[in-house]
Amino acid sequence: MSMIEFHNVQKFYGHFHALHDINLEIDQGETVVLIGPSGSGKSTLVRTVNGLESIQKGKLIVNGHDLSDPKTNLNILRSDVGMVFQHFNLYKNKDVLENIMLAPRIVSHIPEEENKKQALDLLDMVGLRKWAHNMPSQISGGQKQRVAIARTLAMKPKLILYDEPTSALDPEMIDDVLQVIKKVTNESGMTSLIVTHEMGFAKEVANRVIFMDQGRIVEDDDSESFFKQPKTERAQQFLSKIISH
Amino acid sequence: MKKKFWLLPLLACILMLTGCGKSVNDQSVLKNAKQSNTIVWGVKGDVKLFGLIDVRDGQQKGFDVDMAKHITKHILGPQGKAEFVTTTSQSRIPLLKNGNVDAVIATMSITPERKKIISFSKSYFDAGQSLLVPKNSSIKSTKDLNGKTVIGVVGANSVANIKKVAPKAKVIELQDYAQAMNALKSHQGDALTTDNGILFGLAVQNPGYEVRGGTFTVEPYGVAVNKGQTSFTEAVDKAVLEMQHNGEYNRLIKKWFGDVPGFKYKELYRR
Amino acid sequence: MINIFAKFSSQLLVGLGWTVLSSIIALFFSLIIGTIFAIMEVLPSKVMRVIGHAYVEIMRNIPLLVITMFFYLVIPMYVVKINGFTAGTIGLTLYTSAFIAETIRSGIQSVSNGQMEGARSTGMTYWQAMRYIILPQAFKIVIPPLGNQFVNLVKNSSVLAFVAGFDLMYQANSIASTTFDTINSYLVVGVLYLIVTLPISYYMRHLEKKLG
Repeated sequence: MSMIEFHNVQKFYGHFHALHDINLEIDQGETVVLIGPSGSGKSTLVRTVNGLESIQKGKLIVNGHDLSDPKTNLNILRSDVGMVFQHFNLYKNKDVLENIMLAPRIVSHIPEEENKKQALDLLDMVGLRKWAHNMPSQISGGQKQRVAIARTLAMKPKLILYDEPTSALDPEMIDDVLQVIKKVTNESGMTSLIVTHEMGFAKEVANRVIFMDQGRIVEDDDSESFFKQPKTERAQQFLSKIISH
Repeated sequence: MKKKFWLLPLLACILMLTGCGKSVNDQSVLKNAKQSNTIVWGVKGDVKLFGLIDVRDGQQKGFDVDMAKHITKHILGPQGKAEFVTTTSQSRIPLLKNGNVDAVIATMSITPERKKIISFSKSYFDAGQSLLVPKNSSIKSTKDLNGKTVIGVVGANSVANIKKVAPKAKVIELQDYAQAMNALKSHQGDALTTDNGILFGLAVQNPGYEVRGGTFTVEPYGVAVNKGQTSFTEAVDKAVLEMQHNGEYNRLIKKWFGDVPGFKYKELYRR
Repeated sequence: MINIFAKFSSQLLVGLGWTVLSSIIALFFSLIIGTIFAIMEVLPSKVMRVIGHAYVEIMRNIPLLVITMFFYLVIPMYVVKINGFTAGTIGLTLYTSAFIAETIRSGIQSVSNGQMEGARSTGMTYWQAMRYIILPQAFKIVIPPLGNQFVNLVKNSSVLAFVAGFDLMYQANSIASTTFDTINSYLVVGVLYLIVTLPISYYMRHLEKKLG
């Protein structure tokens, strides 16, 4: 069964054509990595999936909800679709534990005790339990991103979107975060759509790779074949540049 | 934070000092007036019939203003100039005390309290306090005022008088007669009280309202001058007396009050 | 100055009471109204934004005295009788609410967009995100400028004097005109205003330090 379906989707910012005729189907349980040069529309595509960006034409169905229909309740959709941002976006006015517990409490109405136990378990999982009562401003970028992942998991999403989760991190922090993402994708069976520039990580975690350029999907292949030898010349160029760096 | 605390007493001291030092009273107003050939009068600007600014030419017009012009000629001679400064009930005494005006002729009753701090000429107009009400009002006289709201003007003694004749009336004070009249129209009060001359002026401007209940006080208007200016006070008294003898006074009374409905202007004539 | 206070202390304290009461009422309602219009000004709906903006621009660009006179003189003539204290307090509330709305709006807009996106991406509604995430952060940012608005509010309450609202300024006018001691009458109420406003100023400064 498919989790995400794009049918001839077009996205414009004014006159700028951000997404060209996107057709894409992602099945439940897939881990899909989205790569491509900056400005190629990867982030925009990911953000249309939970409705943070609207689409102008075509049909987009996520977890059974039709995002091209203005009557669709995005809040219900979003409670099943988690998102991890480049800049973490932790709530600055809440401590680490509250960041994780807030949405389960006010969106899913989980009993407080259960909610707290789940939050602490999640903090254990990302290795940050002792930071539970610190404010976001008191922890490092890598720690923030791990809290953000825990916050997303607390909603028990069916799909997680990662929008360049390590781009804003210092190099020595990146690995911890990638380990957590790997653990989540391997163990949970959730669907994941990941925008990243970390090719080694992509190779390890993905079972499918989508290469985008100038707002179009240029290549869509299983991970192994893509990283062995991309079919298109543009993807080959991109890959050789990235790896030689 | 500590620095700021000494500012407060300092500020208070400065303000008090500026209030204390003054020398206006030491100079003879009459002598200065004769030297400059000008008398500066404080008059009303919002009181019809006594002192009202004419929006067409910006000049104050009314009985008080005409009196001031005539008195000026009597004191300084035909070339004497009268200058006018608009005052309110609230500002007229401070302006006089500060020396901004030489004399005040602004519907000002001679009262013992005021006499403690300024001097008055003899009365030049005999007013009395009365009430202005809507024509359909149930208020007939001051007896009906208890429990009602009466509008007065800040700085006028009419407010204190009302408290004497109708202790249970609620009194609110507004900034000037125009606002007091507007408040009466907006039903913020049941009656407006002040001197009958002023009230008749308001009644002329506002059909639908009338003066009721006769006068319940005697309010002799006087020209106010600073204490110690005896020579000037005497000169004013002399001028007013001359005007009464030669009929100028009665002509001014007729000019301003002759057409006011319900006002027995001839009772004000003086010989 | 002491003499004036001693002689008219009951009248002055009544005035102080009305000034403080009017200020508290106006503070309470202008905070609520100001917050509502601040939120309207940042809503996604263009109609709401225009309404919010129109309210703020109209209220803060008309003199307080005009708004107050409107409620004191015009409304009673055509709608309902309201006394001077009420008219003055309504005027004060509406006028202040426009400035509070502007202050809070700028506070909301200084909270980064990522906070809203982070909250919305977990399934919170716009209003939940506002209530739990955006507004608490916005209020923290705007505490110092809000403090200034509160001090202004207390000072502006002297508009009550013009509509017979029995406040401190009204009593000052009344005392000045009965005693003819203008300077000391206004000095006394000046000090009484300071007694109300200085603690607010200092408390706000303290709060600012504590939060910053």
